[in-house]
Amino acid sequence: MAGSRHPQDTETKPDRGARLSLQGVSRCFNGPAVLDGLDLEIASGEFLALLGPSGCGKSTLLRLIAGLDQPDAGTIERDDPEAALAYVFQDASLMPWRSVLGNVALPLELGGTSRGERDARVAALLDTVGLTDAAHRFPGELSGGMRMRVSLARALVTQPALLLLDEPFAALDEFTRQYLDEHLQQLWLERGMTVVFVTHSISEAVFLADRVIVMSPADGRLVRDFRVDLPRPRLAATRTGIDFTRQVQMLADTLREHSLHA
Amino acid sequence: MKAPTPEVWLPPVISLVAITAFLEGWLALTAVPGYLMPRPSAVMGALIASGQELLRATLQTALTASAGLLASAVLGGLAAVLLCIHPWIRRAFYPYAVFFQTVPIVAIAPMLVIWFGFGPKAVMASAFIVSVFPIIANTLSGLLSADPALRDLFRIYRAGRLTTLLKLQIPGALPQFLTGLRIASGLAVIGAIVGEFVADTWENGGGIGTAVMIAIKEQRTDKVFAAVLMAALLGLLFFALVNVLSRTAMRRWRLGELSE
Amino acid sequence: MRRLPALLTIVLLALLSACSSEPDGGSNPRLTLQLNWVPEPEFGGYYAAREMGAFRDAGLDVEIRPGGPGVPVMQLVASGQATFGITSGDSLLVARERGIDVVAVFALYQSFPQGIMAHAERGLNTIADVFQGGTLAIEAGTPWHRLLEKRFGFSKIRAVPYSNNLGPFLHDPNFAQQCFITAEPIAARHAGAHPRVFPISDIGYNPYSGVIVTRREFLDQHPDKIAALIRAVRQGWQAYLADPAATNQFMHGLNPTMDLATFSDAAEIQKPLILGGNTPPQPIGGMEFARWRTLAEQLRDLGLISRVEPEKAFVNP
Repeated sequence: MAGSRHPQDTETKPDRGARLSLQGVSRCFNGPAVLDGLDLEIASGEFLALLGPSGCGKSTLLRLIAGLDQPDAGTIERDDPEAALAYVFQDASLMPWRSVLGNVALPLELGGTSRGERDARVAALLDTVGLTDAAHRFPGELSGGMRMRVSLARALVTQPALLLLDEPFAALDEFTRQYLDEHLQQLWLERGMTVVFVTHSISEAVFLADRVIVMSPADGRLVRDFRVDLPRPRLAATRTGIDFTRQVQMLADTLREHSLHA
Repeated sequence: MKAPTPEVWLPPVISLVAITAFLEGWLALTAVPGYLMPRPSAVMGALIASGQELLRATLQTALTASAGLLASAVLGGLAAVLLCIHPWIRRAFYPYAVFFQTVPIVAIAPMLVIWFGFGPKAVMASAFIVSVFPIIANTLSGLLSADPALRDLFRIYRAGRLTTLLKLQIPGALPQFLTGLRIASGLAVIGAIVGEFVADTWENGGGIGTAVMIAIKEQRTDKVFAAVLMAALLGLLFFALVNVLSRTAMRRWRLGELSE
Repeated sequence: MRRLPALLTIVLLALLSACSSEPDGGSNPRLTLQLNWVPEPEFGGYYAAREMGAFRDAGLDVEIRPGGPGVPVMQLVASGQATFGITSGDSLLVARERGIDVVAVFALYQSFPQGIMAHAERGLNTIADVFQGGTLAIEAGTPWHRLLEKRFGFSKIRAVPYSNNLGPFLHDPNFAQQCFITAEPIAARHAGAHPRVFPISDIGYNPYSGVIVTRREFLDQHPDKIAALIRAVRQGWQAYLADPAATNQFMHGLNPTMDLATFSDAAEIQKPLILGGNTPPQPIGGMEFARWRTLAEQLRDLGLISRVEPEKAFVNP
């Protein structure tokens, strides 16, 4: 269910993707360092997956990039620190007392956008994720998949240069998850923002990302920086292809190697 | 609102009838004198005979208790908002809020008479003092337990402290506030009644607390029970009203049928 | 939690003892006298009787139990948890109306000790003047409350609950309140006020007060014990009226909140209430049929009782 396109829809212009440079980033919580001197360069418009088991520090890294946490050492630089940034949580984290409309409008409200402009952008985005009919429903009435789509719409409403997602589809069933993976890819292809996507699903990482960064609890740095070699757009059929399976296997091997040391 | 189905109202009605019948029979059989424990039939008799008087008294208490509860809701809610602003404020002032919970109202009721004089104001003050703490405690808990993910979201969008308070914490605290209000509703009735013992003026006949006091003095044990019954029903009514309010206000939060 | 079984046993025993009637203590059962307030001069004769050994000499084992606010004396006597109790004559008649067969055997106050206390500065002359304005604290539900309302009307005053708190009286010059003649006026004077006391008996309402009551059952079973008790009680009161100092000291030990000066003043003020009022003069505590009949008729006219049978209500042992 791809978003429809209107000739005057300004949302089809790709958002300028942020460029990030992480150098020597370290972070520890009461003991061993979760991140220890991590270096990472992220190009503009790149789709990056952070892959690893629990405790490897991928969520910590995402929070540091988002500015929700400060590194103990090292720097995180963005080419434009003022550019819009968006974060999608594993739980859709919608406000139950607001309608779908109200939830999607929140970032614009907090940013001081005028009412008229807000309404227009929210309507456009709901159209994109296919939830126009649900605009006046409340989160309590929606399924998990629908709630996540609202969360995505909310994330995109400020036309972010950087989109961060922390295992957003992990709580959903397999079919919804795959559907939303495809949907997310579509949104990214249309807009061109930089995406950092945290997951512990290897197949999801390979399906979505340009690059997969493998992390391990035993190592505070990147274990592997893997370039995914698959044509775009990746379709449902791609998941069953030999290339896909081979690359998933390679990453699985990497993960297994490093989990023995955990 | 749909009328309650039989499976909702039938069990309590049955238990009520059963307990009343048992009491009536047992008290008759053991010939317990009426001045120690009146039979349900005697209490019913007193209720009917003094019905108008007790109803009017209950209404008077209902008014003062409502006013006290309203004051608790407003001032208690405000106090919770102030307390949620900073841990120092909480450490400095929360103990005084706890004081409202622990102070025995019977002991300070005479003080209320000195500060507010005899009459409805002192009775409302008593209702307020007894009912305000659950609202403060529960609302504060709600304000401080905003969804951490939403809090992060507000930080990402650079929302200020006040904005976060107004758009996230306060609306998010509604369920806890209503829980506090539910607890406070019955307490407000108790507070009003205790206040009446000390401060009620009987220009309009007095509240239900006064009615209890007089019935005790007149050694009308059946009327004492009838008045106490009315007081209990009033408390129940308050509780039920707050429940209805709560369900209505929280309707949107509720999970409806899944549509996908 | 280990003490739970013991606790339960104690509770059970208490419940059982509450259900039982007279302690069947063999030849000399313990008799309990339940007071309706804390130890004060109004009970001086009883403590004096005990201290001077009058009960012991009469062969009686008497326990005096102090009361306080809210102690249900009538219920305690009616259910057998106390042998004797102290109450007022009007309460006794109302209790009999409710089916409690208790009987008066002794009436300490021949003149009713309740009154209305107002500030002398108001220049009031009679009790009727009190009802022309201001605030009146009165105990709701008492017969004299109803009588005063019927006689004078409460439309010009603000009637409020009576409590043991002297504060409102002291702070408001237009505040009047019900009082026990030997108590609040003394305290008010000590606090610097000038109270003017109007006895309720001024309007012709003069029930016996400080009345010892017991169940008819006990009266029928032990008339000799009751006669002996009353004799001992009279001795105690004679001694106390002659010289209250030692007993006051003793009672002050049980009730330290009242100072000895007040004990002394109260003991003095109550004398005429105990000794005077009857023609021909009765021995201390003696009762007349005519007065019980008058009281019963008054209560009937107020709608508080339906039957007037004063002869069943009292006995002069």
